[in-house]
Amino acid sequence: MSTAILLSGVTKVFDLPHEKQTSIKAAVLSFRKPPVQRLVALDDVSASIEHGESVAVIGRNGSGKSTLLRIIARVYRQTSGTVEVNGRLSTMLDLGAGIEPELTGRENIFFNGAIMGLSMPQIRAKQDRIIEFSELDGFIDAPAKTYSNGMLLRLGFSIAIETDPDILLVDEVIAVGDAAFQQKCYRRINEFKNAGRTIVFVTHDLTAARSVASRAIWLDAGKVRADGEVKSVIDSYLAASASKEET
Amino acid sequence: MIAHIRELLKYRDLLKQLVVRDLKVRYKNSVLGFFWSLLNPLVQVATITVVVKYVLRLDIANYSAYLLVAYLPWVFFQMALLDSSQVLIIHRDLLRKVYFPREVLPLSAVLSNLVHFLLALVVFFAYLVFYIHLILHGSGILITTLWLPVLVALQCLLIVGLTCIVSCLNVFYEDTKYVLAVFLNVCFYLTPIMYPAELVRSWIGTWSVPEVYKTVLYKLYLLNPMNALIDAYRKTLLPVSELKLRETPIEALPLDYGTLAGAAVICALVAIGGYAFFNARKWVFAERV
Repeated sequence: MSTAILLSGVTKVFDLPHEKQTSIKAAVLSFRKPPVQRLVALDDVSASIEHGESVAVIGRNGSGKSTLLRIIARVYRQTSGTVEVNGRLSTMLDLGAGIEPELTGRENIFFNGAIMGLSMPQIRAKQDRIIEFSELDGFIDAPAKTYSNGMLLRLGFSIAIETDPDILLVDEVIAVGDAAFQQKCYRRINEFKNAGRTIVFVTHDLTAARSVASRAIWLDAGKVRADGEVKSVIDSYLAASASKEET
Repeated sequence: MIAHIRELLKYRDLLKQLVVRDLKVRYKNSVLGFFWSLLNPLVQVATITVVVKYVLRLDIANYSAYLLVAYLPWVFFQMALLDSSQVLIIHRDLLRKVYFPREVLPLSAVLSNLVHFLLALVVFFAYLVFYIHLILHGSGILITTLWLPVLVALQCLLIVGLTCIVSCLNVFYEDTKYVLAVFLNVCFYLTPIMYPAELVRSWIGTWSVPEVYKTVLYKLYLLNPMNALIDAYRKTLLPVSELKLRETPIEALPLDYGTLAGAAVICALVAIGGYAFFNARKWVFAERV
């Protein structure tokens, strides 16, 4: 197995301005710099993810899970450290990420394919599979702004997985779907994994993590607290959460 | 920079889709929509024609064509800058959630305005042939029209460079668009659109400075790329005509290819500089929009 994602010493610091001083007028008129709060979202994160692995990223809110995914997806740039990604990425970082509300479902398939860097003929060839998996047959030519959250998930997830990426990044969205579609997603992810593809997903659904992932990375305040076989990492995560409640 | 351009080329399908969508929204999917979008510039041109020709009494043969040939490139410049100042904010969801070369967005604003400009030029040539040539027996299409692709390309370079800077600044300073609107308004009067560049030359002629400086000053004026381009559009697409301001003749000057070449270099530098400025900041957009 070769390495799909290699993170070494990845640190991400956000400078959050306290006041929203973002106008030319304010920059000209005020001499003092606005106070800035530094937030260390990721602190020296290192991990090596092989092709064919399925990794669940778990941790409390604000522990840096989404930031990590966005850095792998190249939406954010790390403050220091290196990120190496080998293979074509497909991402689903939010419900309806990349879905344009004014376009129809079908137009969105082409638009998102183009965002992923696919050519028109490549997308055309995959179109039917995407529509079939999304179960949006009757609505595919309606504007995406008329879709419910569940429909957005089905369209977005279908595009993300049926475009045959080498690596799939999914951020806590599958929970929006109904039980049947969730099952279908996890089944498809298993097939995907068995085909030697890589998946990294953020989730709070520990049952799903146990059944789908082979490995878990537990982030705590931007640091890797544990990284290893999924069941043992989840057990220690649950134990830590329980002990925190008692104190 | 070459690596950035290579990455951008991989995403040309995305660029195409964004441009097509822009135009569809603009023309509301109809040919009539295109003509409707021409209504605003044509009303402007008609108004300025009346004011300049009859109130200010600037006497130029076929003034309406003389104005239109400068006004259409100006509208391209203005609209591309105004549209692109907003484009990163409008697509903030895309910037925050997916990877793609960020320059695709401002470029799409430039390209959709370019398509619009080219379509408007077709209407301009139709006007030149069917009205000015066949009805007024003025000149038709000149051989120097062959310069047109060069001029359009130079203008695109200038606009792309400025667009990169403006769209980027608007992410960090949200009032950029207001400052830009004021700036463009002022520039409209300072650029030789309503009046010929020759009037500026004759004004410089009245200054009490040595004759040599006057020539140099006028050359400097023509090094401003928009001044140079507007003057060149006019002089390559329309014949030299007699200019008279309230009965006083004003010397018509031929196109100065030397300063045009200088302005071309400036256009290229603006494009390279603007793109570098954009590239140095483009991965922070997702955190700031």
